[in-house]
Amino acid sequence: MKRVGKPVVFIVAILILLFTFTSIFGIKGKNGDNTVTYVKGVSDIRWGIDINGGVEATFTPATSAKPTNTQMDSAESIIKQRLIGENITDYEVYKDYNHGRIIVRFPWKNDEKNFDPQKSIEELSATAQVTFREGNEYTTQTTGSDGQPVYKTPKGTTASNVILQGNDIESAAPEMTTDQTTGKSTYVVSLKLSSSGTTKFAAATKKMVGKIISIWMDDTMISYPTVEEAIANGECQIDGGTNGFTAAEASALANKINAGALPFKLATTNFSTISPTLGKTSLNAMLIAGIIAFVLVGLFMLVVFRLPGLIAVFSLAGQAALSFAAVSGYFPFVNSFTLTLPGIAGIILSIGMGVDANIITATRIKEELWAGKTLDRAISSGDENSFSAIFDGNITVIIVALILMLVFGPSNILSWLFGPSTTGSIYSFGYTLLIGIVGNFLFGVVTTRLMTKSISRFSFARNKWLYGGAAE
Amino acid sequence: MKTFHIGFYKNRKIYFGISIAILVVGLIFNAIFGTQLDIQFKGGAMIKYSYSGDVSTSQIEKAVEGAVKRNVDVTVNKDVKSVSGSKNNLTLTFAGDNSISLNDQKMVLSALNADYPNAGFTSLQVDSVNPTMGRSFFAKCLVAVLIAFLLLDLYIAGRFRKIGGAAAGLFAIVALLHDVAMVYFTFIFFRIPLNDNFIAVVLTILGYSLNDTVVIYDRIRENRKLMGPKTEYSVLVDTSINQTLTRSLNTAGCTFASIAIVFIVGIVYNLASITTFALPMMVGIVTGCYSSICIAGPLYVMWENRKVRKLAARNAEAKEEKLQSEHAETAAEPEKSKTDGSARQPKAVSPKARKKSSRKKSRKRR
Repeated sequence: MKRVGKPVVFIVAILILLFTFTSIFGIKGKNGDNTVTYVKGVSDIRWGIDINGGVEATFTPATSAKPTNTQMDSAESIIKQRLIGENITDYEVYKDYNHGRIIVRFPWKNDEKNFDPQKSIEELSATAQVTFREGNEYTTQTTGSDGQPVYKTPKGTTASNVILQGNDIESAAPEMTTDQTTGKSTYVVSLKLSSSGTTKFAAATKKMVGKIISIWMDDTMISYPTVEEAIANGECQIDGGTNGFTAAEASALANKINAGALPFKLATTNFSTISPTLGKTSLNAMLIAGIIAFVLVGLFMLVVFRLPGLIAVFSLAGQAALSFAAVSGYFPFVNSFTLTLPGIAGIILSIGMGVDANIITATRIKEELWAGKTLDRAISSGDENSFSAIFDGNITVIIVALILMLVFGPSNILSWLFGPSTTGSIYSFGYTLLIGIVGNFLFGVVTTRLMTKSISRFSFARNKWLYGGAAE
Repeated sequence: MKTFHIGFYKNRKIYFGISIAILVVGLIFNAIFGTQLDIQFKGGAMIKYSYSGDVSTSQIEKAVEGAVKRNVDVTVNKDVKSVSGSKNNLTLTFAGDNSISLNDQKMVLSALNADYPNAGFTSLQVDSVNPTMGRSFFAKCLVAVLIAFLLLDLYIAGRFRKIGGAAAGLFAIVALLHDVAMVYFTFIFFRIPLNDNFIAVVLTILGYSLNDTVVIYDRIRENRKLMGPKTEYSVLVDTSINQTLTRSLNTAGCTFASIAIVFIVGIVYNLASITTFALPMMVGIVTGCYSSICIAGPLYVMWENRKVRKLAARNAEAKEEKLQSEHAETAAEPEKSKTDGSARQPKAVSPKARKKSSRKKSRKRR
């Protein structure tokens, strides 16, 4: 048997406790009045809409024929624009060109008191009103969820003087232009107006050279270009100013303007909403369940397996901590993960399944002791003989967890057949199950063995009874 | 140390009987009550409100049906615990597979408020699913289960070649099907509509049950080395199961206990999405453990014994022919060879070969 140093058991135990503590509470400091999070804890976990409350809805452009790709892009940009404007973070929007569907899922805002999901779905699905207005005077300025300022509600001349309306626009498209002299490429939005729009725009731009014409969707200003010259032929370009547009910015703006050119309502028949109250209740319930399960399984291990049972409690704590860490974004290289109710059930389930490795090993050690082996030999052959069973058994659960993630994930292996879908709450279950198994290997096998071998060198821990053998 | 000495092979008929009886009862239940699909899978609409005070379900039914011209099923749960104190819950389930429009939803709420202005109805949860999308989601889930089964089969085919051959793998699959059926019948028996929880439970139990079976077969392989090729299959398998039984029961116990706690807490807080997940999972863990021990093991023994008997019979025939042509010995010889080890001689070659190869493997691992 390879000798493991005596202090190892204490080092490993302290490391596990430290990891458990930080993964639950995080590491936070105070910078004046602001709390600075250095390492994320349980309170930083992003909860799914089944816990935080929220809305999931599928929209279909209410057009007579199958919506075109341009219409779909435009519908998507309308929805995104409105979500950002409402300062809703963490939303997911998926397009399905084949079925003409747009799936939206967003959690409820934490500070929102009145939960009115019907209203928010209605607001998202209303026909977009695109207007071109004189000047860029606005009433309120807030910060959208993308960090950009959001200007709302026109006032003054901007409110009174509407130059163009949605039906004056024929189309908008992103284009790339290359400067002849510098050779630098920039992106612009090229605009084509209808005949009525051309007349109106020609008259307005003639008067307003050097002034601003702002573009609004609903109540929100989406762009405010300055008129460089009179535009008489109904075709013009909007460039991104001194910095220029990126390709994404140009196509986003074009999509939004198109929403005015191709007006349609978004119909929704498929939606689900959950109030934050219901979700918070479920979260509390699951927390209680998790704590009881942990204590019960820990007690069971202590009573049945004695010293290896105590070590199992440490490995179980480490495993639970790993689950928290994997969803909260504890490790800088692992993104935080939206945790849903089935996800929490997965953590609790893997607390139960997770002791499997400890049980297999401890049972094996006990058997070897009763077969008359010395303590050291029992421990080493117990470890050796149990590894293949632990390994094989866990592989099957890993296969299943991966399938759950692949099938219920955001863009999944079945998307080509059934179209994209939102991240189901089961996705989170697959993830926590997978992490549970990884934790089972890491803590149930690696740290458990180190601790067992190390502690067995202390004279107080030489009694075979402690490992389930006969009392000496 | 306490060791079990349960004759799993001897009692096999009892286990098969229990399983078949449950399956038959399940099938009868299924035939009578049919299979309910959740609105997630078939389309439909459900609204859940919280309110205070007393309401009459029949009056609510009339008010809602008047508002949206659609039959509705009304259920009331009183004193439901929530973070904002105890409230009563009202669940409206609309008949048919069609979703509900936002407008109808508003009309329902105003009809309720008109009848009970002081109840303060607040919408807790709304699910409205378009039937086409529901069916497509259902199809997707079934494909997911299929993929899982195929992958696990591939794993079994590769893994079990080493520890017991194709037959062992086949019986592992039988045990898996047994468990899926049990989980399915749990949903039928407790009248839980099949939803995405069902898919999650089925997949988890597939993994869990196979895990159990693998541990047992792994022990069988190890014991074949220790006990030698002459040991009866029934003895070999029974010994292996009894040795792993402590582990199987302990693990199943821990897993069962943790999910049972989830179930109890779900009941206390009246969280249907939790209880409909936890209950079938509890059943699945029990049957997953049971099927690996009581179904897969004995079936494997029966199969191997049959092979042995066949071989013996073929040997006997061959010998008889030989004897007849040589006119030397009596016809009683082949009869006798059925019972002693000599009949199994051809079979003895393969475990030996396997023993060698697996010994090499284990050395590498070290």
